[in-house]
Amino acid sequence: MTQAGAPLATEPAVELNGVSLRYDTADDILTDIDIRLKPGTFNFLTGPSGAGKSSLLKLLYLAHAPTSGEVRLFGQRTADMSRNQLSALRRRIGVVFQDFRLLDHLTAFENVALPLRVSGEKPEDYRDEVVDLVRWVGLGERIHAFPPALSGGEQQRLAIARALINKPDILIADEPTGNVDPDMARRIFRLFIELNRRLNTTVIIATHDMHIIREFKAPVLKLQDGLLFADTAYEQA
Amino acid sequence: MNIKMNPLLPESDAREAALFFVVAALCFLAVLATLVARGTYTAAEAWTAQVEGEMTVLVSDTDRRGAETAAELIEALPGVERAHVLTDDELDELLSPSFGPGGIPDGIPLPLLIAVDAEGDTTALAAEIDATLAEAGVNGRADTHSAYAAEVRKALGTLRIAAIGTVLLLTMTAISVIAFATHAALLARKDIVDVLHLAGAEDRFIARLFERRFWLLGLKAGAAGSVAALAVTAIIVFSAQSSSAPSELLPKLSLDQWDLIILAVSPIAGALAARIAARVTVGRSLRSSL
Repeated sequence: MTQAGAPLATEPAVELNGVSLRYDTADDILTDIDIRLKPGTFNFLTGPSGAGKSSLLKLLYLAHAPTSGEVRLFGQRTADMSRNQLSALRRRIGVVFQDFRLLDHLTAFENVALPLRVSGEKPEDYRDEVVDLVRWVGLGERIHAFPPALSGGEQQRLAIARALINKPDILIADEPTGNVDPDMARRIFRLFIELNRRLNTTVIIATHDMHIIREFKAPVLKLQDGLLFADTAYEQA
Repeated sequence: MNIKMNPLLPESDAREAALFFVVAALCFLAVLATLVARGTYTAAEAWTAQVEGEMTVLVSDTDRRGAETAAELIEALPGVERAHVLTDDELDELLSPSFGPGGIPDGIPLPLLIAVDAEGDTTALAAEIDATLAEAGVNGRADTHSAYAAEVRKALGTLRIAAIGTVLLLTMTAISVIAFATHAALLARKDIVDVLHLAGAEDRFIARLFERRFWLLGLKAGAAGSVAALAVTAIIVFSAQSSSAPSELLPKLSLDQWDLIILAVSPIAGALAARIAARVTVGRSLRSSL
């Protein structure tokens, strides 16, 4: 097994083998999913509401364990990892939640800095970096504002900035442009692509937006009724 | 650029204010119950010792002078602190429950009684007194009030157990309620736990945040409760001391070093309960996810 660190070039960044997910006694949300995503790939995840997109993303950002099957990130089987190793792995994953999950009692700056703060970094070490990113997402004037004072679109951009601050190896976004105008949506996607190209970040974006999917021409994982029935094994060079 | 950092956990809200009140109130009750129980226990100890250390010697076939000589003989015995012949007034007071406030009617012969205050085993001493009086040619017999003392001992033993039981029950209730209230306050923060968890914070990091918060809350609230209990106790002690007719049967409330230790320990116990509850709740919450 590899240590928690840089992935081996030959290993997929994300690998799901025969993964199923079921909550309590209900039917399977996901059934026998197989996915292999190489490092540095850009992927869309699409499907109708209730298809299991958010559940699949939860498996990927390590919020849930699968009911059966195995999840491997950077070649490491997550079921074999200690809780501290899983925490370290989560710090390599940036997540943009559909409901943003910003902390209302923290300012925009503090929300973006959160992943750095919980990993023990000092404010003076990350201050400039956070300020630059907050400015980049167009919230420089609102850096001291608290989330309840921000519009839906501003909150979404803030959530995106928080997901990017760690320069993650994997970026997962659940409907990241749902509350922004088309111009901002394109800007956000260009940022994701830039991150993907410059830092070799593996990007997985769940979206309904077919215009965006067509415009950015990336592989598409399609989910329907818990089944991944198309484009299950993109192999990008 | 000067950027102020807010704490990762929000400042106290209404739920924590309710928790503060619960901890303060329970610490107040626990401290007050402990102080009263301790006073009751002390009073029971003193009263039992007093009853057990008293006996009466009934002398007959002699006059008051002979009785006083007998009292001197008894007082000379080891283990006897004091022996004296009861005066007519003392006899009046002793027998007033039988004869009422009018006193003993004239013409009724009064017994000659010697009241003996002793230390240690009065049963052995009673036999020694009987032997000493017989040797001196005095017709007398010592009564250790054994039946009465046994009843008193039994009643006070029950009182002690009740006092200790009350304190234990209240302490356990206080700890349980504090733990439950902490658990409820923490569940309201589950969203924060989730965000920190998914941002990559280790379980220990998250648990420490909540432990520290609830430990400090418990300490402050417990201290408030203890200070309130101290104030109430001080008022009771002051009232009892200034009363013209203090009763031996009332709990002997005081504020000695042990009471101060109880006052100091109570907030720590409350805070510890809150801290442990926070650790357990956060731990469970985190373990329920991956």
